[in-house]
Amino acid sequence: MHNAWLVVQREYVERIRSKAFIIMTLLMPVFMASTILIPAFLSDMKSGVTRRIVLVANNPDIADAIQQELMASSKIDNSAQSKNAAGPASPNSQAPRYSIEIDTNTTDAERDKLRRDVSDGKIDGFLWLSDSDLANRKVVYSAKDVTDFGESIELRNAVHSALVKRQLGQKGMSDAEIETVLKPIDFDSVRIDKGKEGASGIAVFLVSFTMVMLLYVNVLVYGFAVMRSIIEEKNSRILEVLLSSVTAKQLLAGKIIGVGAVGLTQIFIWLAIAGAFSLPGLMSSRSMLSNVHIPMVGVLAFGIFFILGYFLYSTMYAALGSMVNSDQEAQQVQWPAMLPIIFAIVLSTPVLQHPNSQLAFWTSMVPFFAPILMFVRIMAETPPMWQIILCIALMLLTTWGLLGLSSRIYRVGILMYGKRPTLPELRKWLRYAG
Amino acid sequence: MPDTVELRAIHKTYDHFVAVDHLSLNLREGSVYGLLGPNGAGKTTTIRMMIGINMPDEGEVWLFGEKFHRQQLQRIGYLPEERGLYKRMKVLDHLVFLGRLHGLSNAEARKRSLDWCERLQISDWVQKKVEELSKGMQQKIQFVAALLHDPDLLILDEPFSGLDPANAVMLKDVMVELKKSGKTILFSTHRMDQVERLCDSICLIDHGRSVLEGDLKKIKASYGKNTVQMQYEGNPPFDHNELIQSVNNYGNYVELRLKPGADAQQLLRTACEHARISRFELVEPSLEAIFIDVVGQNA
Repeated sequence: MHNAWLVVQREYVERIRSKAFIIMTLLMPVFMASTILIPAFLSDMKSGVTRRIVLVANNPDIADAIQQELMASSKIDNSAQSKNAAGPASPNSQAPRYSIEIDTNTTDAERDKLRRDVSDGKIDGFLWLSDSDLANRKVVYSAKDVTDFGESIELRNAVHSALVKRQLGQKGMSDAEIETVLKPIDFDSVRIDKGKEGASGIAVFLVSFTMVMLLYVNVLVYGFAVMRSIIEEKNSRILEVLLSSVTAKQLLAGKIIGVGAVGLTQIFIWLAIAGAFSLPGLMSSRSMLSNVHIPMVGVLAFGIFFILGYFLYSTMYAALGSMVNSDQEAQQVQWPAMLPIIFAIVLSTPVLQHPNSQLAFWTSMVPFFAPILMFVRIMAETPPMWQIILCIALMLLTTWGLLGLSSRIYRVGILMYGKRPTLPELRKWLRYAG
Repeated sequence: MPDTVELRAIHKTYDHFVAVDHLSLNLREGSVYGLLGPNGAGKTTTIRMMIGINMPDEGEVWLFGEKFHRQQLQRIGYLPEERGLYKRMKVLDHLVFLGRLHGLSNAEARKRSLDWCERLQISDWVQKKVEELSKGMQQKIQFVAALLHDPDLLILDEPFSGLDPANAVMLKDVMVELKKSGKTILFSTHRMDQVERLCDSICLIDHGRSVLEGDLKKIKASYGKNTVQMQYEGNPPFDHNELIQSVNNYGNYVELRLKPGADAQQLLRTACEHARISRFELVEPSLEAIFIDVVGQNA
């Protein structure tokens, strides 16, 4: 045990000290921050640009109503942005987002002319709202670029609400009544656990999603690191010296734990950085958080299943690593390790919807699916304790069994250099006394 | 006193290939033992079974008078033929790591590493990364690693390969010193001259079997002084001579094995007629000659 601990220590210290680790650990938050900040920054810049749009309608009242809706929505946007900027709003953000012209000529000739105007860059686009099209409830927005989905949605909402308001008005409703009718509903689903209200639906989903992503990314990065570290040992030929004082099993376990600890350290550093930066923001927007209620059990389950899952998958990577001799070969054989995790991700949706179904029970008992599926079940509707314990026991047993298996492959494999074993050869290796 | 190593008919097969075939041998405490054999004879597999890297299919390994168990590994130092170190680790860190794996404390491992590096003239390199070192230097590091925990049994697989003469002498001196202090050394090599000078006993393995085992002096004596070493200039005819059993000719030096009952003086007279002889000596056969003889017979 002492020796396995030394292997863990060496693996951990050498990796933490490496430049690759330091760079990766610092760069990742920068990268994450920029993926969030740069698009926001870009759309900020874009919001300064006024889009010239022509509303083509037989009925100028409709066009007017749509224009008002558009102006209103862009005003809300602008005021929200200037609040975010927390200071005097820049002149850019106050420029209207749309400059709108109204055209009552709905002939085909006019349509062709507008198309040319778009091509020539005189206008950015036009909305075709002819009476016949409106009767069919079909509106076409033609523009040079229509990939800005935000804009499309905004236009569609403006058209829709202008038409609804108009129709309601025609039925004799006052503006105030219309506002009340159209007011959106604040909808939330909350889970009942032991007679008390527990995690909200959105929280279950969010936490499950985080689990899936964290596990997936870490297994991908650090599972592969375990595999590479094993291959490195084979290629550096240091193994024989090590095996004269450490058993193959101790060595593998030490490597998995050492590399695993490095991964966890990295996650903690990232979480700390993320926390330090987002805490002030979270404090100020408590209203958002009050919806996302995560029970303590969930946090605990997250920790347990993340770590168990992580080690289970790392062991699988170790087994694969012990069969191959180079990084290239490693790339080729790593799919068997990824397959179950992807399968579990696919299964997580039906399990989340029916956490007590037969399907949920059986799939969550499969050790390779358990870290995701059992966790999802615990979050959605806590299963009986015996199921959770059985599931954890199965995962531990599988990890231990895999460790034994891979250390056997390892011991025979390394001492027989050369090509990758075929499946029948592998079976034979496992039968060797060692 | 129990033998340091006792192999009792150990046997190992891979698939249908017999790597080691019911091999038995004994290493006396304090001896230098040569494990010899052609390439692929099963030397490395034998060593690996001796230290528990592989398990024999049949037979038993006894170390220090007890059946093999892993605690015994703390008393063994091993320099494998396949050399390897973690390339990106610093030399000192690496030595300390390997020393601690053999049960030393951190401080003790550090102190001994520094002492040995001083002794083998690699002190300037202890803070460098392994990958910055030359092959020979790395080999010395591994040699140190095998010695750090002051093992009672030292197993060296081809310790001199890749070393320049000066470094080889340095290593040899350490080995001799260890022998004097009562350590047992198992020494596997192809280099017969080294074995002849260093070893007390040998075991010659071929096709996984022991074909010749025992005290080196006795083995050589059993062949008798039937070998002629001759230094010459000229062109003496050795080919169709009724006196000679086998020839190993180097051009101006030759080793001749005489047929049983052949007269060496007769040979000298014949040789004088064709060449100038500067040295003519009747000796026991060299280990190399014995090796070639025994392995040749088995082939």
